[in-house]
Amino acid sequence: MPKIERRAECIADPVERLRYLRRVTAPERNLLPPGRWRHAAWLTLAAMLVLAPGPRTKSAAGTFERERGLLAAWSYSPTNVAASTLDSATVSRSATPATPSSGGEASTLIPHVWQVERSRTSELYSNGLRVDLTFQISNRPRAEYPIFSLIEGSPAVTGRGWAGQVSKTGSTPVGIVYHTTESLIAPFEEDQNRRLKQLGRNLIDVIRGERAYHYLIDRFGRVFAAVAETDAANHAGKSVWADAQGLYVNLNDSFLGVAFEAQTGAAEAVTPAQIVAAKALTEMLRSRYGIAAGNCVTHAQVSVNPGNMRIASHTDWARDFPFAALGLPDNYAVPLASRYAFGFDYDSTFLRVAGRPWSGLDAADQLIAKRAVAEGVSAARYRAMLRRRYKDISSELAKTGLGASGPGITGLGKTGPSTTAMGKEAVAEEVAK
Amino acid sequence: MSQNSNSQGAFGLDVGTSRIVVARGVEKGHGEKGQGVETGGIRSGANLHDSHDIEYESQLNAFVSIPYSKITEGVLQRERIPHTSTSVASEIIVHGNESEKFAGLLNAEIRRPMSQGVLDPKEPESLRMLREILLSMLGPGQGEGRKDHGKVCFTVPAAPLGAEGSLTYHEATVRQILTEMGYQPTPINEGLAVIYGDLESSNYTGIGISCGGGLCNVCLAYLSVPVLSFSIPKAGDFIDSNAAAVTGERANHIRLTKEDSFHFNGFFADKIQQVLAVYYDDMIRSLVTALNEAFARTKSVPQFHRPIPMVLSGGTALPPGFRDRFEKLLWEQDFPISLSEIRVARNPLHATAKGALVYALSDL
Repeated sequence: MPKIERRAECIADPVERLRYLRRVTAPERNLLPPGRWRHAAWLTLAAMLVLAPGPRTKSAAGTFERERGLLAAWSYSPTNVAASTLDSATVSRSATPATPSSGGEASTLIPHVWQVERSRTSELYSNGLRVDLTFQISNRPRAEYPIFSLIEGSPAVTGRGWAGQVSKTGSTPVGIVYHTTESLIAPFEEDQNRRLKQLGRNLIDVIRGERAYHYLIDRFGRVFAAVAETDAANHAGKSVWADAQGLYVNLNDSFLGVAFEAQTGAAEAVTPAQIVAAKALTEMLRSRYGIAAGNCVTHAQVSVNPGNMRIASHTDWARDFPFAALGLPDNYAVPLASRYAFGFDYDSTFLRVAGRPWSGLDAADQLIAKRAVAEGVSAARYRAMLRRRYKDISSELAKTGLGASGPGITGLGKTGPSTTAMGKEAVAEEVAK
Repeated sequence: MSQNSNSQGAFGLDVGTSRIVVARGVEKGHGEKGQGVETGGIRSGANLHDSHDIEYESQLNAFVSIPYSKITEGVLQRERIPHTSTSVASEIIVHGNESEKFAGLLNAEIRRPMSQGVLDPKEPESLRMLREILLSMLGPGQGEGRKDHGKVCFTVPAAPLGAEGSLTYHEATVRQILTEMGYQPTPINEGLAVIYGDLESSNYTGIGISCGGGLCNVCLAYLSVPVLSFSIPKAGDFIDSNAAAVTGERANHIRLTKEDSFHFNGFFADKIQQVLAVYYDDMIRSLVTALNEAFARTKSVPQFHRPIPMVLSGGTALPPGFRDRFEKLLWEQDFPISLSEIRVARNPLHATAKGALVYALSDL
């Protein structure tokens, strides 16, 4: 903070000074006092260390059993259709949705929800969802975004140019990315009402200022519209996902951002009211845009760090997202597109936050292994080809202005760590290449 | 700020119970009003401090109704007195600064669209009058459908301390009025606006207090980030109405006396001055108690590494001696935060609007 203050003092223009301070303090605009930022970081680190899993036995039989279960779990998913184009020989598709792990009723069917009434300040939907429009704000209009074909290899390898990799373009949202605000959380108790309301109110201001999400669900389960759905929100940053249509890179334009007022690792998880509201909101958005259940995913699942080619650059909802309670299948089991299509890796930081590798990572690894055999190259070589393709696409996107302008919103209080450090293993692998 | 970064109009709007103040950027040397003004004129801190590049306009947030006649209407039009004619209702409504004169002439109390910092639910004309006053000050915007319409940052009060009163309706209504006028509205907490208007020297760290008509608004900010804000419902109107009740005078008369001649010196020439001192003291004590209570019970108050400034603004902070009286009572109660200074804003009547303008410009 003293560094920020010194820099600010060098700016003579009060407007420019305020602009600078607002920019650099944007993630902290949540009433978190400066003395606690460091404290919160230590607490988060301590929590992660406590939650970090111990060494796991990896017997062949155990691995086999686990993978069999995982493949069964994700095989119904629409995303699986995309994955199956990579390796249709090894992945079977099932018409029967998997049973959610606990609670709720997961369905790949798109619910029918309609608008009952609308005023200047609110919307009411047939499933009981009420959206507060008071604080809605505009951002840049949603751009037409490319959908890349699920071919592998760089243009140099495939003999096709970058343009040839675009199977089609889209202009409406195809998915939802769920976030946590990582903002200061007051105890969810009756005598904290005023503080809870004030924190939520301040959060709205921050989100509006950052154009961070399309919707915010506060701790009382109130749904606030932030950035208009017609516009892109700055929520996903560098990110990757895939479905039957193809690959989506940098999801600000193609996916809607929904944020829970919540903090990773906090003693209190999301409130029951937030779950109820999130379910209703998800149903409404899926109904409005025909969003596939497999495209309702968390920020950690889609976020990538091109700098070190690691997944989960942002770690909000890296674990314990209540898919089942929201009427969604366990999308942690969906093969991770950033891994099987672009060769992104993960590291120990991710494992500490996620607790254990998502089953979708194992499924993605299987796809890569099979495809590498088919291509007659090692898995490492095949991943390198995938990574080159990502870099080609990413640089071309940057030229067209569709490269994510920022790193995405990890949360407004920044307690979730990023997987920025490259592990020794990964470094060795890169050097070997 | 880039010199040519703002081809749009930017306005700071202090929507107070008693007065509405508009701050607009004026290009240095041109003297033109700020719609579409280049903020290059506000490019340096020195210029902004001098206020040479900000133009302020202030209107009473009040109105008075007079009997309708074509002659009266003609006179008002000829004299360019802001008014609204409603021949159906057989009355003409004079609003803004002129309402005070007409109220004096007619020996009537002026009416106000707002009470205690928010739109008055008991005043049927509140929305229409607020809109008329804002329109007379800002003029119509360039239209909602256009990307380059003016940005208006308007102040909203904080929630009263210890109360759960909703301010959503007030904020949404003002926003709607401004949007319908063709502007792009953004709300800002009133206390925070004081900080943005007067505490740039401390990197927008400190406590801003706006002592207005309906409320006293308090905000603590650290590096421009609001940490704590609240309001208390004792301010200028509280003093006026109670003094009026005791003295039998009209509240409007009390207000004029207060603004013209009241000062804290311990010696009072007449009963009105004496009564004003009593209720002023009551208001300041309530404010100080609220400050202590709020800061003591809020866990999120930062541990500042150096003393922070406190700035007082608003019409109620104007009387000579106010700052000294406030400081004395504050130290009596052992305020928990170390303060570097307690001072009155450089321009107490305009600090809030200026802060709102700075915020609007920083948002462009």
